[in-house]
Amino acid sequence: MIEGIRRIQDMMEREQYVTDRAVATTAFLAMELKKPVLIEGQAGVGKTEIAKVLATALDTELIRLQCYEGLDVNTALYEWNYPKQMLRIKMEEGSHRDVTQQESEIFSDQFLLKRPLLRAISNQEKAPVLLIDEVDRADEEFEAFLLEILSDFQVTIPELGTISAKFRPYVVLTSNRTRELSDALKRRCLYLWIDYPTFDKELRIVTRKVPGINERLARQIAMFMQAIRQVRLNKTPGVAETLDWAMAMMALHQEHLDPETVSETLGSFIKDRDDVAKLRGKPLDIMLSSMNGVEEEDLQAWIQSVTQRLEKEVATR
Amino acid sequence: MDSVGDAAAREGSRYALKSRAKHADLQRHVMAFGRELRARELLSTSSEIVDSLRCMEMVDVADRGDVYLGMRSVFVSRPEDVPIFDEVFNQFWRNIARIDEIDETANNDDMSPDDQAGDQMEEGGEGQEQLQLSSPDGDGGEGDEEGDEEALPLYSPVEMLASKDFSRFQADEMQEIARAVLVIAKRLATRESRRVRVSTKGHQIDPRRTMRRNMKYGGTILELARRRRKIRKPKLVLICDVSRSMDTYSRFLLQFIHALQNTIGRVESFVFSTTLTRVTDYFRHEEILEALDRIAREVHDWSGGTRIGQSLTTFNAQYAKQLVTRNSIVLILSDGLDTGDAEILRLAMEEIEERAGKVIWLNPLLGSKDYRPLARGMSTALEHVDVFAPAHNLSSLEDLGRHLVVRR
Repeated sequence: MIEGIRRIQDMMEREQYVTDRAVATTAFLAMELKKPVLIEGQAGVGKTEIAKVLATALDTELIRLQCYEGLDVNTALYEWNYPKQMLRIKMEEGSHRDVTQQESEIFSDQFLLKRPLLRAISNQEKAPVLLIDEVDRADEEFEAFLLEILSDFQVTIPELGTISAKFRPYVVLTSNRTRELSDALKRRCLYLWIDYPTFDKELRIVTRKVPGINERLARQIAMFMQAIRQVRLNKTPGVAETLDWAMAMMALHQEHLDPETVSETLGSFIKDRDDVAKLRGKPLDIMLSSMNGVEEEDLQAWIQSVTQRLEKEVATR
Repeated sequence: MDSVGDAAAREGSRYALKSRAKHADLQRHVMAFGRELRARELLSTSSEIVDSLRCMEMVDVADRGDVYLGMRSVFVSRPEDVPIFDEVFNQFWRNIARIDEIDETANNDDMSPDDQAGDQMEEGGEGQEQLQLSSPDGDGGEGDEEGDEEALPLYSPVEMLASKDFSRFQADEMQEIARAVLVIAKRLATRESRRVRVSTKGHQIDPRRTMRRNMKYGGTILELARRRRKIRKPKLVLICDVSRSMDTYSRFLLQFIHALQNTIGRVESFVFSTTLTRVTDYFRHEEILEALDRIAREVHDWSGGTRIGQSLTTFNAQYAKQLVTRNSIVLILSDGLDTGDAEILRLAMEEIEERAGKVIWLNPLLGSKDYRPLARGMSTALEHVDVFAPAHNLSSLEDLGRHLVVRR
């Protein structure tokens, strides 16, 4: 691994983001090649987090554009502050000033509402991190527009002229894959798929993010989550849920997992009514009773056997 | 880093170490590698090759992890690509490694592996000609027995119960149907696009409401009223039965799917008989005849038996979460003659109904007067279907248009 990648990895770890080599390498290449990164993965695996951590680590501004169906250029790029312009015109009505001068005044910077994309290219001090979140939710038309911005990093405002980026922003796009993005957008980006974490990674995340948690509880929680993700649920819990749960256990001063408390706190990480009903009772017992004394090297075997038993149990319900 | 890539990366590093000295080799190898990926349907054109070469300049090409991860971030563009990438990566760099080994044993009998590696660097790419074996446009795969054995498996032949040759269909007949289907699909699409125009107007100011709203300010316009988009375009998910019992219709229906996808966009398509295959990409750019030909060749067990329940369960497990929302219409084209478990089908349909805005089942048998949906599979499925319609001729497809709206 070369120095640059290690540096980024350290940087992200310092910001309490448990990373792995794939993430660090992609982030490094994106910075070096000045290419946007497209991050895909299930909900709750920390896609958005990467952009936030990058911004903190680089000590720069994070600009976030949340996408949704119907997101348009006005909301994403810029808009004239119409009410303010109207007021100005009204105020100027009595004065007999030159019309062209008036016009250039009301179409100046102070009447411009800068939206995320414009802000991202008009930073004068250093390159910001631009997070375009859940880009799959925006329409195809918007995607096409985005493509244009991402290739030129400049915007033409008819009344003001062309604004081009002094510092090219670091661009991070995330997608939950509710639809396939266009090939054109994909090929403009480096691609990173983030899966649910492995046991080791999840354990590290829990110990890092939940200070004061004891080793045994952290291990048990990580094991539990590894197994539960193998069960077919409507909403598979992500890392965010793992952390919520660990926090909940800490708040209840629990030292280890016991059936009663797990059953009570199930709602903090299983967020679908049917799933809760599916798991409560016997399935939880199966998991918790077999969990003790499982060593590191038996972990995969345990996960396999316990998910088989779980599937059987869940299927009969 | 993940375990799949690890082995692949290790192979890469052997090669990488040597090519550090020879950038031209790297370039050639990456190009051949890119071609191979393209043959496997990954997004790999000259721009990706340029990008990956730029990546290689940035990372340590002697490091297995760097090479693998760098290339992966360029060539892979969706999670399904990863296993294919790993396989090709593994295969490709192993071939090169093996060629190197042959050279090494031929040239340096007594040297330690480390020395050999160093030596190889100076000798450069003697393996060049042989490398071509692994690229698709190389001059044949002669000589390399091991390579034959491990040749890239295009698609597993195990489930290929029957492979049909579409070229036997009469061309003129095909053309005529294709034309008719295209007309219908276009008609459906324009209906769609009228609504699109309304929705893009939604970004604009509504003068009438603006005036009315600003009456209270004595006619000074302070608040702007805008039009909002009201109707959302539905997404279509087509799932077509290509089992033996559907033979007479499936060809016809697939053409319809093809035409629909190429005029409307926002269409995802699948075919199934005993297993489910996503065919959206097959239909995306290609000529209809080519697409059909390729599907017949590559889809497992074309014209085999039917397991609707199983196939729909697969659909739910792998795709539904991503592709089906309340704004989607799921269109199933099947005769409902299932040989599988009716309970599985019921559960699968239940889940689809829950996710989708609308479920339409097109059944060609419905065209005959005597047909009653009594087949076990069909009658269970019907409980979870919003529209049950025939699909045996052109006019029944045309009627489909009025169902293609999600009501809220």
